[in-house]
Amino acid sequence: MDYKYIEQLIDRYWQCETSIEEEKMLHLFFQQKEIPSHLIRYKDLFCFEQEERCLKMSDDFDAKVLAKVEKPIVKAKRISLARQTMPFFKAAAVVAIILSLGNAMQKSPIGEDNDYNYDQYTDTYTDPQVAYDEISSALQDVSEGINKSKVLEDTDTLVSTTPATKELIKE
Amino acid sequence: MGVTFVPLTRHYYREMQQISFRNDILPLKDKLFRLAFRITLDRAEAEDIVQETLIRIWNKKDEWMHLESIEAFSLTICRNLSIDRSEKKEAQNVEFNENLHDTADSSNTVGSMEHNEKMQIIRRLFNKLPEKQRSVMQLRDIEEKSYKEIAEILNITEEQVKINLFRARKNIRQQYIEIENYGL
Repeated sequence: MDYKYIEQLIDRYWQCETSIEEEKMLHLFFQQKEIPSHLIRYKDLFCFEQEERCLKMSDDFDAKVLAKVEKPIVKAKRISLARQTMPFFKAAAVVAIILSLGNAMQKSPIGEDNDYNYDQYTDTYTDPQVAYDEISSALQDVSEGINKSKVLEDTDTLVSTTPATKELIKE
Repeated sequence: MGVTFVPLTRHYYREMQQISFRNDILPLKDKLFRLAFRITLDRAEAEDIVQETLIRIWNKKDEWMHLESIEAFSLTICRNLSIDRSEKKEAQNVEFNENLHDTADSSNTVGSMEHNEKMQIIRRLFNKLPEKQRSVMQLRDIEEKSYKEIAEILNITEEQVKINLFRARKNIRQQYIEIENYGL
C-alpha cells in the first residue's frame, strides 16, 4: 500500500489544509488493524475522534422533549382559535351598533321637530285674491326693506371711502 | 454525494415550506449534546442544555423558514447556552469531576485497558483546550463540518476557525506525543 499519500495527508491535516473527504479517509485508514509503525503513534488520535462521534444521549430524551414541546401546541391552537372567531365578534358588534342607532333615531323627538311633511300643509285663505294681496304686500315689505338697507349700505361705503365726500355729506 | 445532498434537501424544505420538529430538528440532539458536553464537561448539564436549546428552537417556529441552516442555528444556541452555564459554574467555584469513563466506553470494541487509557489521556488533553479551540475541533474533527459552517456557528471568520483548529490539533498532538514518549 502506498503510505506516501497517507503521510502527505497527515502533514496537510496538521496544517489544516485537508478537506472533509480527505479527513474521512484518514479516519478510515486508522481504523485498519495493520498500520505501519511510523504512523501508529497517530492511530489513537484519529480513533479517538471516531469514538467520540458515537456519543449519544439517553433514549428517553425524545419523549421528554416532545412532552415539553407539545404542551405549547395546545396553547398555540387556543390563541389561533380566538383569533379566528374575532372577526365574527367584530361583525356582530358592528351590526348591533347600527341596529341600536337606527332604533334610537326613529324614536327621538328631534326627528319630529324637523319634519317637513308638505302633504300635511293646509290652506289658510279661501279666496285666491285675498291670498294674492296678502303675499304681494308681504313681498312689498321685503323689497322695501332690501332697498332701505341698500341705500344705507351705499352711504356707508361713501363715508368709508373718501374723507372729502364725508365732509360733503355733513354740509 | 453528501455535499450535493445537503443543499438539495435544504432547498426542498424551503420549497415545501415545511420543517418538521420531529424529523428535522430532534435528530440533531446527539450533535448538540456532544458539543454541549465538550464545553460543559458535565453530562447532566449537557442534556439539560440540549433540552433548553430544542425548546428555544421550537418557540422560534416562525423563523425556521428564513434560516439559512437550522442546524447551524441550533448549534449556535447550544454553544451560547453551554458557555453561559459553564461560566456560571466557574463563578460558583464548582470543580468538574472528570467522570468521563462511562461516556464512550460502551461503543469501544477494541476493549483493551491500554486503549481505554489512551483514549482517556486524549480526552483530557482535548478538554483542557480553551473553549474556542475545543468547539472548533469538536465541530470539525468529530462532526465533520466545513470551515464555513463552523464560522457561522461560532460567529467568527473562516480564518479564525482555521487558526483555532490549527492550534487545537497541534496542542493535542504535541502533548500526546510527549506523554507517549516520556510518560505522564
